[in-house]
Parts: sequence; C-alpha cells; structure tokens
Amino acid sequence: MADTTVLTKEPYVPQDEDFKLKGNIEDILVDTNFASQSFWKEVVARFRKKKSAVLGLIFVLVITFFAFIGPGMNQYTYSGQDLSQKNLAPRIPIIEYTGFFDGHENIATTKGTKTVNLYFENKLPDVFYWFGSDNFGRDIWTRTWSGAQVSLIIAVAAAIIDMIIGMSYGLISGYFGGKVDMVMQRILEIANGIPRLVIVTLLLLVFKPGMLTIIVALMLTEWVGMSRIARAEMLKLKEQEFVLASRTLGAGSMHIIFSEVLPNIIGPIITQVMFSIPTAIFTEAFLSFVGLGIPVPRCSLGSLISEGFNSFTTHPYQIIPPIVVMALLMLSFNLVADGLREALDPKLKEM
Amino acid sequence: MKKYVIKRVVTALFTLLAITLILFILMQLMPGSPFNDEKLNDTQRASLYAKYGLDQPIVVQFFRYVINMFKGDLGVSYKISKNTPITQLIASRLPISIGVGFAAVMIGALVGLCLGLLAAFKKDTVWDTLATIISVIGVSVPSYVFALALSYQFGFKLKWFPMLFSAKDVIGSSVLPSISLSMFTMASIARFTRAEMIEVLGSDYMLLAESKGLSGNKLIFAHALRNALIPIITVLAPLVVDLMTGSLVVEKIFSIPGVGSLLVNAIQSNDYNVVIALSFIYSAMYIGIMLVVDILYGVIDPRIRVAKEGD
Amino acid sequence: MKKKLLSVMLASVLAMSMIGCGSSAVSGVTETETTESTDSAQSTDAAQSADATSAEPAGEGSGEDLNVMLETPVESLDPQQATDGTSFEVIADYTDGLMQMDADGQAVNAIAESVDISDDGLTYTFHLRADANWSNGDPVTANDFVFAWQRAVDPEIASEYSYMLSDIGQIVNAQDVIDGAKDKSELGVTAVDDKTLEVKLNVPVSYFLSLMYFPTFYPVNEAFYESVGDTFATSPETTLSNGAFVLDDYQPAATAIHLTKNENYYDAAKVKLAGLNYQVIQDSQQALMSYQNGDLDTTLVNGEQVDQVKDDPAFAAIGAGYMWYISPNIKEVKELDNLNIRYAITMALNREAITTDVLKDGSAPTYTSVPMDFAAGPDGSDFSADQTMFSDYCKYDAAAAADYWAKGLEELGITELNLTMIHDADDAPIKVAQVVKEQLETTLPGLTVDLQQMPKKERVERMQEGEFEIALTRWGPDYADPMTYLGMWVTNNSNNYGFWSNAEYDKIIDECTTGETAMDPAARWAALYDAEKIVMEEAVIFPLYTQCNAELISTSVSGIEFHPVALNRVYKNAVKN
Repeated sequence: MADTTVLTKEPYVPQDEDFKLKGNIEDILVDTNFASQSFWKEVVARFRKKKSAVLGLIFVLVITFFAFIGPGMNQYTYSGQDLSQKNLAPRIPIIEYTGFFDGHENIATTKGTKTVNLYFENKLPDVFYWFGSDNFGRDIWTRTWSGAQVSLIIAVAAAIIDMIIGMSYGLISGYFGGKVDMVMQRILEIANGIPRLVIVTLLLLVFKPGMLTIIVALMLTEWVGMSRIARAEMLKLKEQEFVLASRTLGAGSMHIIFSEVLPNIIGPIITQVMFSIPTAIFTEAFLSFVGLGIPVPRCSLGSLISEGFNSFTTHPYQIIPPIVVMALLMLSFNLVADGLREALDPKLKEM
Repeated sequence: MKKYVIKRVVTALFTLLAITLILFILMQLMPGSPFNDEKLNDTQRASLYAKYGLDQPIVVQFFRYVINMFKGDLGVSYKISKNTPITQLIASRLPISIGVGFAAVMIGALVGLCLGLLAAFKKDTVWDTLATIISVIGVSVPSYVFALALSYQFGFKLKWFPMLFSAKDVIGSSVLPSISLSMFTMASIARFTRAEMIEVLGSDYMLLAESKGLSGNKLIFAHALRNALIPIITVLAPLVVDLMTGSLVVEKIFSIPGVGSLLVNAIQSNDYNVVIALSFIYSAMYIGIMLVVDILYGVIDPRIRVAKEGD
Repeated sequence: MKKKLLSVMLASVLAMSMIGCGSSAVSGVTETETTESTDSAQSTDAAQSADATSAEPAGEGSGEDLNVMLETPVESLDPQQATDGTSFEVIADYTDGLMQMDADGQAVNAIAESVDISDDGLTYTFHLRADANWSNGDPVTANDFVFAWQRAVDPEIASEYSYMLSDIGQIVNAQDVIDGAKDKSELGVTAVDDKTLEVKLNVPVSYFLSLMYFPTFYPVNEAFYESVGDTFATSPETTLSNGAFVLDDYQPAATAIHLTKNENYYDAAKVKLAGLNYQVIQDSQQALMSYQNGDLDTTLVNGEQVDQVKDDPAFAAIGAGYMWYISPNIKEVKELDNLNIRYAITMALNREAITTDVLKDGSAPTYTSVPMDFAAGPDGSDFSADQTMFSDYCKYDAAAAADYWAKGLEELGITELNLTMIHDADDAPIKVAQVVKEQLETTLPGLTVDLQQMPKKERVERMQEGEFEIALTRWGPDYADPMTYLGMWVTNNSNNYGFWSNAEYDKIIDECTTGETAMDPAARWAALYDAEKIVMEEAVIFPLYTQCNAELISTSVSGIEFHPVALNRVYKNAVKN
C-alpha cells in the first residue's frame, strides 16, 4: 500500500463505491489456501489421501464384519465335534468343479506324497467344509471367524483399558513433576523391569483363565509404553501459555490435565492405541502357544494357530485360514495406524 | 555430571532390590509348589521344604537370598540337577542366548534401517507401501510359524542351514533362529527410522543445509542420518535385552539351550530360585542398558541432562 | 504310592511282560525288529529272549552312533535325585545296577554275579562280579551300593524317590532314616566285604530283585563323589560310568547329550553301538523332519503326524505304561456321590473314539482300573488282559448312560449339572479333555462341562487339596504289580483323589499286603480282582486309556528294548546297520 501511495502523485480520494459490498459473498468465504476446516475434517482428508491406510481400514472392517457374521453363515458351531468328519480338506460348492477346494489334499508322508479325498473315501457327498475341518471334525470356517472375533474383542478391550490407565498415569506423572514424577517413574521402572512373561504367567495361573484375565494380562504389558508417550507430551505442553492461562483462571489440576491438555495430545494417543491392538493380538497368540490362552474349546486366532501348528506339515490347510486372517489383521491395523499417525501429525505431512 | 551418574546408579540399585522383593512375593502367590509330586508323602514334602528353607517366613527367605546374591550365589534349582548352583546353569546358557539375540538385533537393525530409509525417501510411493508391508509381514505371522516355515524351507528342503542348534556349528545353526528372532526388531526399527527420517528431512536445518548447496549424499549421511539415528538407539536398547534374554518360542523350536526355555520351564514347575534368578538377570540387564543409554544421552545432548537433574 | 506293607510272597520273581500296544491299535507295526511283543498275553519265559537274540546279527556292529530324540531335557543325572523317565534312561546307559532289565523287562544279573535269598525272604546277599570297574579304574564295590542307598534315604539329600527303599523296597530302617529318627548308617544294608552286599528287609518283598534295576538303587563311588562334591553328575568330568557307555558331552538341562561305548565295560563285547547321540527336540515337526533327513534314528511322532507316517514300516506304537483316567471328587461334590450319575458319566465316554480318532498314537482303550501289559500273574498272564471283565460298569452305551443320568438327576432333584474338569496344559490332555467334554455334553442332557487347564504341578496340588470337581489325570506304574494302582484307592491314601472310602475294599487290600492271602499267589490274584471289581462297580474312577507313544524307529536299527516301567528304553543290545 505504501508503495502505491508513493507512486501516485496526487492523494487518493476514496469514493463511495469503495465502501459498497461487492456482493459475491460465496467467493470471499471460499479461501482455497486457508479453508476453514475443523481439525478432524482435515485429519480425515489427509487419511483418505493415503491409499495404503484406506486399504487397511477396509480390510479391518471386512474382517470385523466376518468375525461377527461369519460364524453364523453355515450350520456348524465353533465347538461342535464330529469325529467321523475329521481332517477334511476345504471343499466349497460349485467352486469344487474347478478342481480347487474340492476336498482333495496332498499328504506328504514319509513314503512320498499321496493325494486323497476323504469326502469320497468316507462317503460324504453332501458335506461341505469351506475351510476344511480340524482333527475333531470342527468347521474351520466357523472357528476362524469366531476366533477372529475373540481376538478382536480381547485386543480392542486391552488397548482401550491400557490407554485409559497408561494415559492417566503418564499425564499425572508428567503434570505434577518433581517428587510425584520421581516416585511414579520408579514404580514404572520396577513394573517394566520384571519380565513380562513372569507377570503374565503368574496372573494367568492365579486367576481363573478366561477372556477377562487375558485382557488384564495384555493390558499389563502395554500400559508402560502408553504412559511414556502421555508423559512426554505432557512435559512438552504443560509449560505452554494456555495451561498457564487456565491455571491463572483458577482451574484445578485435574481439569487442566484432562480437559485442557488431553484434547491436545489425543493424536499420538490414538496412534499408540492403533499400534497396540496388533501387538495385543500377537501377544495373545504367544500366550496360546505357551498354553495360557483362551480356554478350550473357545478359540482365538492365536489358539487356532497353535492348534493347527502340530498339523502344519500334515494338514497345512488347517493352519492357513487363521494365519492369513491374523496376518491381514496385523498388516491392516499397522497400515491404519501409520496413516492415522501421519494424518494426526501435520508435521509429518510434507517433506 | 558425576553427581547425575551416581544418582542414577543408586536409584537403579534400589529399583533392582525392589524388583527382587516383588518377585519373591509373586513366587508366594504362585499356585502349586515345587515339591508336590504325586509320589511324595507329607513327611517327605515337609523335609524337602525344610531343606530348602521354604518353611521360613518370606522376609527371612528374602534377606537370606539378597545376602547370598551379593556373594554371587543365586541359589540352587529345585528341579534341574538338584543342588547345582543356578550360576553354573546360567553361565553356559546366557552366552548362547546373548549370541543369538545379538545376531538377531544386528540383522533386524540393518534391514530395518534400510527399509525405513527407503520408505522415508520414497514417501507415499509404491516403495513406501512395499517397505511397510515387508517390515510388517515379519510381525504379522507368529514367530513359531515363521520359524518352522524357515526351518522347513531352508533346513529340510534346501538343506542350507541346520534345522537344530548344534554346539559343533554354532554360527551355521544360529542363522535360522536369528532371522526368525530379528523380524520384530526389523519392523520396529523400519517404522521408527521412517518416522524419524521424515521429521529430520522436513526440519529447518536440512532446508538450510540444502540451500547452502550441499549435495544429495552428503546431505543425507552427514546431516539427516546422524540426527535420525540418535533416537533409534533408544528404541534399540530395550529390544536388545528382550532378544538377548532369548525368545522362548524360537529356542523351543530350534532346540537352543538358552535361558528363555529355562525360564518358562521353571515357571511351570515352580522352580522359584530359577525364576527369580533369571528374572533378576533380565531386570538387571534391562535397567543397566537403560542406564547406559540415559547417561550416554546426557553426554550427547546436554539438554536432557539438565531436564533430568531439574527433577 | 503304597502306604501299607507289602509282603507278597511269590515263588518266582514277577515277570514283566512287554506292553503290547500293537495288538490293540495301529497295524503295520510288526515289520520292525524292535523287541516289543505284539501279543500282550504272551508267556514271558518262553519268548523272552527270542526277540532280543534274533534282532542281533552277531558281530555286525557297524560302530555307528545311534541318534535318539528326547522330548524333554534330562533333569538330573544323579541316580538318587533323578525322578523322570528321561533321566533314568540316560543314567542307565552308563550305569549298571545290581540287576539289569532284559528285553522282556525281567531282572537279570548285572553287577551282581549271584544272589542268595534267605528262606524267610528277609535277607538278600548279592555277590558282585570281580570285573566290574568304574571308568576311573576303581572296582565297583559293595560299599558303592551302601553309600548310594544311604544317600537315597538321607534327609539331607531329600531324594524324592526314597520311598522306593522304604514303602516299596521295605529295607530295614529306611523309613526311620527318611524321617530323621535314625542315622543313615543304620539302614539295613551292609558291605560284608568288597564284593558282598547284604540287604535286610522288614517283610518279604517278592519283586525286590526287579527293583534293583531302578536307578535309585544304582551305586555311587564314594571317594569320587567326595572329590567332586556338589557338582556331582553335572558334567562328564563329574560323572563315573560302570555301564555300557561313557558320558562325554553333557551339561544340566542340555539339549544335546553324547555317550561313547565303554571299552572297559565287562560286557563290552555285546555292545554294538559306537555311541549314543541324544538330541532334545521339543517341537514334533522339527523332530520328524530331522528323522526324515537322517539326523535321527528314532523319534516320537505326534498324533497329528500319524497320517504322514502310518504306512511307514518304521512306525511303531510303544507302550508308555501310563493309565489315563478321570477322577471324580466323590466327597466334595454331592452330585458325584450319586452312583447313577457316576455310571452315566463313565458310560457316556466313548474310549474307542478317543484313542482311534483323536490320539491316534496307538493308545489302548481301558475298561479296568489297572492298565494293561505291565503286571503278570502267577500263571504268567497279564492282569488286565481281559478288558471285558468289568466293562459292563463303564463301557460306552449312550442309551444306558442317558437312563442312569435321568435316574440320577431325579434322585438329586435337579435338571442340570455343571462340572468343571481340570487337566494338564499339555498336548494330549487338552485334546482328550475337549472330546470328553463333547461326549459327555451330547450324551447327557443338562450336563455342562467347563474345562480348566493348568500346569501339571498346579493340577496335582489342586487334586491333593481336594479342590476340584472332576480331573483328568494319569498314573504310571512304579513296580510290576497291580497293587501300584489298587493301593491308591484305600481310605486316606494321598492319591485317593476321590476321597472314596469302602471298608470291604480296604480289608481286601490289607489282606493282600500283610494278611493270609498275601502268602498264596493264586488266592491273592483272585482277591485283587475282587478289589478291582469294587472299584469298577462303584465307579470310583472313569478309566480312559493306556498310553502308547507313536514312534518311528529306523528299519536299520534293531534291538532297542522298550519297557513301560522304570527304564523306558535300553540300548545296550541295539544294533544299527
């Protein structure tokens, strides 16, 4: 403006027209560079730009859908045994005519490979196990999806509980600092110093084994990481002006922690939760392998894999469905978590 | 600085002591007892309890244990070669676990670093997604399945490496277990490197260096990588302990005489002394490494030290 | 374990027949030259040496190592401290006791050259052979046995198997020494001279000689033991051998163990193997792959792998001795106190389905309370050969089970019953428990069975404390007499998990151990059947099956001897071509 005034020789006299509204209000409000969008809208937009994350989300939703609908899609139940129909290879109506999923399997015996179709040998022309049946004659399709359901419930519940506990712990420890922080961090160090396996095993031995115990055990292995992140974020934020402002206005500590700071760190927290879900699924699988998983005949993806593990070289089809579902679930959750992290943290947006 | 180090070491020692006490209490909560073989009668059980001092109050047991520990005596196993000192039991196994674990960390860190860098430089391209998938796939399949698949393919079918651990061919027979173990490290490091690298590449000093006309390679190695690596070390440290103390599953599959399987068997057979001793060693290594990392960090980045001393 | 005195007076040593899983289960086993006899009712005396000798192509020792798979690591090589089969097996590889097990499980002289038994059966005098030496050159003396046996009862050592000397062996003062009432030097065993050992018993024990191959009774060289102290038997250097092999690679809980043929062994000419190479493999698929690769000569096969190996001539089902059964808690759970409910449960169990469809390892369905193929009677026949004897009380019969169930529920005035079954968190029990649950729930309307798995130690503790409803458990024989099982259900026995009590039963068992009947083998045998009948009639336990292990034994290997009691595998006569 200053430059223009210098260039004009005569002083500019404002006209009435200059004070009239141009009338194109829509144009003015649409600012293509700095559109007024809410934070979450922005997050969604950024997330949607990342194809791998969207793909991951789709897989998560599809698997979740089947985990709740799949077990009811045929007449079998997850625990119903039929020893006369055990170890049957996958067989799907119609598709069987293509030569795939027609119930045949190649068994690698010590005397060479042999091909058998137990559906014909056992005279079961009208029996179909889409993913095959296990060594008790239980339907693997039903078990895989009900296992996925159990795994998802356990993992999500554990992740949410560990978020609540770990987050509160980290926020409180970080906010108060000084002696409180010192004591709380020592406690955390002690909890972290004891091998997880020892704590988890003991917990599962002392309490009645079951879903709830596993959730608590998983929570115990994850809350430390969550509290670290929350504490670090709190240390960053607590010196900022808005915290000072609240405090000056007489806000209590708890109000500041949970109403002022918490909303500002929700991004990293959600990312951490997304990462801890696959970790929980995985830890549960490990517990199953050590014999501390969900009590039989209930199943989780982990217990299905460790059950099928013994037939790995004999009847590989028994272990493939739970492994594939688990791998997809892990991969998808990781992709979603990666996408979320970038979407929530604009710093990472541009290189 | 000296004051800081001393303070940290003293707190670490107290933490360890507290952990030992908690382990003792946990052992008391454990159902079952080390001597409840069906074939023992009550008198025999009582005499076994008396022999190992398990009839004493927990406080007495604890102090006796701590005093012995300072003398370098970790007690005896109730199950494995009864009356053999646990130190002897662990002495031969720990190096094997550490060896395999160290190899796994090295493999995992190197591959993870490369994948992470690739993903960061080719961000939001097919390479990025591919690197993510590769690094996640390793942790998507449970390690025992992965281990068995490796063993089947490279041990049984191709016969490149031995399927089982053998003292005669330690290096060759450690290849498959190390790779199976390295997957988790690889995935974590890859993901972390990518995030760190992206942040560093986007930072102001990189822009400055670039505007000063530094060329690609120099820019990446002298400026970006160095700054990205420091936080990676913090992530790596606890992973090292986790792997060095052994993975039970991989040890079981490859018949590795390490400490992981020892710990699990001990827990299941109520072999209290072995559980406490191994947990203690694990905790000591963990706290020790974290301490070293903390102190090193203080040396590298004085801001951290100041912040900590302020506490 | 028995609490009562055993004074079984039989004219001859009880013979142990080989367990014959092959007869009842897997076909295609017989081609292997292993010594398992497929006919369980086989007369032991006539056939005992046939297998072993025919399996021994004279002088054809190829001088190779035999590669053997172990499922679990050795827990202890101290003969007086060891308690598990794996440890016993390895100890017996390099240590000979007074007696040894032959192919048919009978006691034959080893370190003992001859035995004199006093007329009252209370004094055994062993004369040791002159050419038996330790691997450090010391001769094996009577004092080595005295020292070892005193260790076994020493409260300081606290050997878990001390009851082999007291309750089972009935050696004078053994119990008092264990209890700390007497000094260990007062144990009824003395070295008359270097080569003569005298043992005094409280009461005659008919199978005493067969205990002598049990590792708890193996000798320990005192001077050597003193020189190595607490490190005894923790490394090859701290171990002495007087047997067929010498230990040369071992450490506590090792995953690989190696033994070499002992050239100074008195019977070295008979030992054909150059050595034994043990490999601990906990994963059954790695084991099978190693076998297929030729790294192993013999391996255990998982039930799931049977489909892969069932046509292989190397496949065999080997008796493991254990009987698996379900124990109801009769005292604490009032519903289980009802006999109709117990009948209903035991008759709802389809044991055939469990063994053939689920376990598939050759385990045999069992309908008696004493398992098959380990205890032979006065006429040489197996105690439990006739499985139909009590099968009316437990055989699978869905209709009858449902009837009993309805009757039982009516008597109790209930329509539903919820039972929790505890079981070990191991492969086989987990599988069996799931089938049992399914079978019971489908056959008996209104019954729900919850499964609770836990480590074995905890399960045993829960059973001892009586904190369970029903439990899946197993019992392995300690010695070759039905009493090792029947003795369990006496009132107040610590392994009477059901806390069942029956005066008549107690009386019969008492008669058979210390009473008149004990003196008359045939009458005692008949009385034991009477006792077993009570157990079955009252459905005190629900027997399931006698365990077998599915194994692959390379066709180039022969002469490995398998036993259900004490030493599971003996390699002294094994040959590898």
